[in-house]
Amino acid sequence: MSPRLLPRFSFLERVVHWVVGVTFVVLLLTGLAFSYPSLFWLTMFVGGGPAARVLHPQVGALFGVGLLVMFLLWVKDMFLDALDKQWLGAVKHYAMHERDKVPPAGKYNAGQKMFFWLQSLLGVLFVVTGLLLWFPEYFGAGLLNTARLLHYVGALGGALLLIVHVYLGTVAYPGTARSMIDGKVTEAWARHHHPRWSGDRADG
Amino acid sequence: MPDTLAIKRISATPSAMIPLSSLRSSGPVYSKLVDISKCIGCKGCEVACKEWNDLKVEQTANFGSYQSHKDLSSNTWLLMRFNEVAVGDDDVDWLIKKDACLHCEDPGCLFACPAPGAIVQYQNGIVDFNQDQCIGCQYCVSGCPFDIPRFDKETKTVAKCNMCIDRVEAGLEPACVKTCPTNAIQWGLKEDMLALAEKKVETMQRRGFEHAALYNPGGVGGTHMMYVVPHGDRLEDYSLPAHPVASPMPLSGLNVLQRVGSYLLGFGVLGALGHLLAFGQESAEDSEGPGA
Ligand code: HEM
Ligand code: SF4
Ligand code: SF4
Repeated sequence: MSPRLLPRFSFLERVVHWVVGVTFVVLLLTGLAFSYPSLFWLTMFVGGGPAARVLHPQVGALFGVGLLVMFLLWVKDMFLDALDKQWLGAVKHYAMHERDKVPPAGKYNAGQKMFFWLQSLLGVLFVVTGLLLWFPEYFGAGLLNTARLLHYVGALGGALLLIVHVYLGTVAYPGTARSMIDGKVTEAWARHHHPRWSGDRADG
Repeated sequence: MPDTLAIKRISATPSAMIPLSSLRSSGPVYSKLVDISKCIGCKGCEVACKEWNDLKVEQTANFGSYQSHKDLSSNTWLLMRFNEVAVGDDDVDWLIKKDACLHCEDPGCLFACPAPGAIVQYQNGIVDFNQDQCIGCQYCVSGCPFDIPRFDKETKTVAKCNMCIDRVEAGLEPACVKTCPTNAIQWGLKEDMLALAEKKVETMQRRGFEHAALYNPGGVGGTHMMYVVPHGDRLEDYSLPAHPVASPMPLSGLNVLQRVGSYLLGFGVLGALGHLLAFGQESAEDSEGPGA
């Protein structure tokens, strides 16, 4: 008998998420190539250095639009409630897979909500500093060099967050990744990871 | 004697990160010396530069100055800037600046460039751009303390004075030097030019220009185009920054941060792997189906 499935992400949500995901990875790889001479060869994947320089900001614009749509789609579920604040205090147990000591999560746990807010904030930083660097002829050297520094800080933060995000979404919790593929999760997965949400779903 | 064009530094390679002066130098090191007090403003050097380097002519317009163009461009590598400045109580002077790449010993442009090989510094002091390696990011423009490189919207690369590297390689002086009718621009071994500059400064001071000075700023390790200026206390009026620095704060901070960042990213990936090994996967212990 196949397990009962709950719908978790709509087609639109999945498309938008993967626009953001794929563009971010392209941006990360080309951006790393500009930051680290030893990784400059990564530009080969998009046709060489000059092509990478042309594509990076264009892909960045798409990323910015995708992130904005994602923000609008999901922000209503992303505010922290009282149990979420307790969740944050118990994050150590969450990390050690002691789920019985972690307050139950809703559609998203507090870590996911924080990830959402941080990535949205970094998105603003990327877009602002990226626009300066895209059109340098209109700005002074000091401002541009500061933008380079901040753009890198954002990229570093975003990349570190992404490592955690991908690890948790794919390897650490089997059954999660399919929510972003066919949009469904098993009822057992929902009960285990998002008990307050699974309750809504099953009963309502 | 022809030069061998031995390379000193290449952008976006380890040679671009070695602190100055610790690099070994061999062979002759050259410099231009511009004696601004001798310039008669004829702009012969500008024409010679265009001719030798085969640079496109740009339409000029009168904007109320004797200056030929308003600014440098990817096709104008040399511009005599006619700065009109009040001197003393009732006198006006042209504090002319030969605006072109200074060929810094520590080139901020090269340090800022992310494209391997797009900027090369030779042992003889010349800093040259290789347009075929350039990705058009213009980081060199904001990395240059003298605002020299210019972006070409058509080729999407940057350009600047190359010190007539093809002439120097053949044992000739740069075209502007060759042309200058008053010897206001001279060319030779850097040590000889330094000695000559010292004499010029002394002469000027004897003649009443007590602030006469040599411009060879230490913040960029010295330059391979040096100036002797009669009013050394008014560098800004010559459009010469008083304290240029090769890699100033946001950029030096970025360099450190990038190094730290590479470790953080590595540890991030290792950390996720370590977590997996230490704690394993957490599945939803369901009885309802496999792999869920
Ligand atoms: C490229 C690799 C990526 C993978 C494999 C991935 C995977 C996933 C998965 C499986 C989920 C569903 C989690 C759940 O059902 O609870 C998810 C959700 C989400 N993703 Fe991604 N994602 C990636 C990139 C990104 C990027 C680059 C961003 C933003 C900059 C992002 C933002 C989000 C957000 C905000 C959510 C909802 C909240 C959360 O689950 O944390 N993702 N992702
Ligand atoms: S003056 Fe500017 S372009 Fe010329 S070598 Fe120095 S930093 Fe580079
Ligand atoms: S514009 Fe070209 S030369 Fe200048 S920093 Fe970018 S890649 Fe290097």
